[in-house]
Amino acid sequence: MSGKVVLLGADRAGEAPHGNRALPSLEESVAYVAGLGKPTAAQVLQKARESGRVAIQPRCGVGGHEEMKALLRDLETEAAPDLLTLTIDSHTRLKRFEQALRTLNRDPKDLNGYPLVTHGWQRGRDLNESVAAPLEIRHGSPDARALFDVSVASGITSFEGGGISYNLPYSKAVPVAESLAAWEEVDRVCGRLAELGLIVDRELFGTLTAVLVPPSISLAISVVEAVLAARAGVRCISVAYPQSGHLVQDVAALRSIPLLARRYLPPGVQVHAVFHEFMGVFPKGRAHAEDLIFYGALVARLGGASKLITKTYQEAYGIPDTRANIEGLRLAARANSPLLDFVAVDADRVAEELEWILAEVADIVEPLLEQADLKAAVADALERGTLDIPFSASRYAKSEVIPKRDAEGAIRYLSAGSLPLSGRALRRNDALLRRDARTGGGAADPGLRSLLADLTGDINYFLTVFGETDHEGTS
Amino acid sequence: MQQRKIILGVAASDAHAVANHLIAHALRGIGYTVVNLGTCTPVEEFAEACREHPDAEAVVIGSLNGHAHEDLRDLAAAKAEGAIRCPVVVGGNLSVGSRKDPSALERLRRLGVDRIVSDPAALPAVLDELRAARSAAEPLLAVS
Repeated sequence: MSGKVVLLGADRAGEAPHGNRALPSLEESVAYVAGLGKPTAAQVLQKARESGRVAIQPRCGVGGHEEMKALLRDLETEAAPDLLTLTIDSHTRLKRFEQALRTLNRDPKDLNGYPLVTHGWQRGRDLNESVAAPLEIRHGSPDARALFDVSVASGITSFEGGGISYNLPYSKAVPVAESLAAWEEVDRVCGRLAELGLIVDRELFGTLTAVLVPPSISLAISVVEAVLAARAGVRCISVAYPQSGHLVQDVAALRSIPLLARRYLPPGVQVHAVFHEFMGVFPKGRAHAEDLIFYGALVARLGGASKLITKTYQEAYGIPDTRANIEGLRLAARANSPLLDFVAVDADRVAEELEWILAEVADIVEPLLEQADLKAAVADALERGTLDIPFSASRYAKSEVIPKRDAEGAIRYLSAGSLPLSGRALRRNDALLRRDARTGGGAADPGLRSLLADLTGDINYFLTVFGETDHEGTS
Repeated sequence: MQQRKIILGVAASDAHAVANHLIAHALRGIGYTVVNLGTCTPVEEFAEACREHPDAEAVVIGSLNGHAHEDLRDLAAAKAEGAIRCPVVVGGNLSVGSRKDPSALERLRRLGVDRIVSDPAALPAVLDELRAARSAAEPLLAVS
């Protein structure tokens, strides 16, 4: 079936096609999920944590409905992931529903994801009913209200994003106050659904720009988004952290997530650590890519993550085909083997790194959490640079932070910009980078050309590890 | 003494943020006020920024995806209309393909690009030269 889809009553750009009236009530959707005969995403995550294994989830999304259904079924039949994904196309992410519709009717293959709002909630339910695993919506929308409404009506129990993490890396000119307000509405609906008995998992996108994000920035932004979500009524929060590539740093960052939750979130909110397999420049060679995938899955296990989002050996070439996606899931799942209990990490080094991560996150978030109006404090802090991310796509972050890998490959602050890090933390970052200056010759002020070259090297870290260094260019 | 100011951005079809932020960081470090328009900036937005910041001494445009000429197509008109009056500096990876063709640079110059910079470290010196040339040509507009 690839019948034409017609937008009903969408004469204004940016308006959800079917209008909210056409959607079922929240009560009806909650009843639908209860009768669906599958666990919610929150239940799957809880069970994974209790059983000590890492739940596995792919990214996947194509434009056509039947094609999307076939993709989900193929992934489930061949790799049985714990959760499945609908990755949403770029038009829908930006509320360009008319363009999504036109492209869908012209050639669904031109869409880089599934346009759920355009297909509508009945088709969303059709996808949901065609697989046993719960679904999550992954996208990148600064304002996801229309998409979320259709997601809930589709009986989808996990929804990624946040007012900071789905704005700064994706949009150039959306004020943070606007995206925070839009996401607060999403989170309030989650609160109402929780009162009706349905816990929606809200995953925060700590990966941000995926380019050398210092762990304390990723985690600080997730803490802020998590506090806002919990205040709006969200009861299950997944904090996603992207693999830096440095074992001790990554394990410490993952293990800090339950501690941060205890410190900053009210009891009764379920919090899960989610690990993103490396999100930066991936090696091209299949064996190299698969080494990195398996390594990432082992790190997720060591860090105690509830869930792992997988990559494929085709990552360096673009969106993977179904076969590669299946292979990536199967490979990642191998790291859950009971035979691998002997794999361990230096506990003292992890404990030390973890203390520093907690201290840096505290430096960044505590001045904000003291403010009466947290959303206003966040927008203001981003404007002043006291909350910041490196290499922001948005003008609404200062992006004064310059990250840098140390000699071991851990991500440090070459410049912390205006982040309110303590003198101790700044001195440690300096020392870790300067101690390693023997190769670069004066990392303190390396000059623009060598700074660009150094950072390009840091971005292409795994190409160097695997000897694929003919690659050139920055991101 | 008035701070020196430049307008910085990446060409319209280009989302490469890293070099853009590093150049902003380096120029701020040597005292410039940098109005950074960021990635995916069409010529029209550069012109708008020029109207808002008439004291900017140059527009610096990065392009890494090889589409510089297409992205800067409107530059000739913007300069002719006087919407962009200050010198325009372009740098990065300016045409598709690994072997560079000098005619690609000539085509950019014909659009109104004043200087093409292959090494970002050369930017401060290029900005100094452009300012010196401009104060010599237009003493009344010189920053005092």
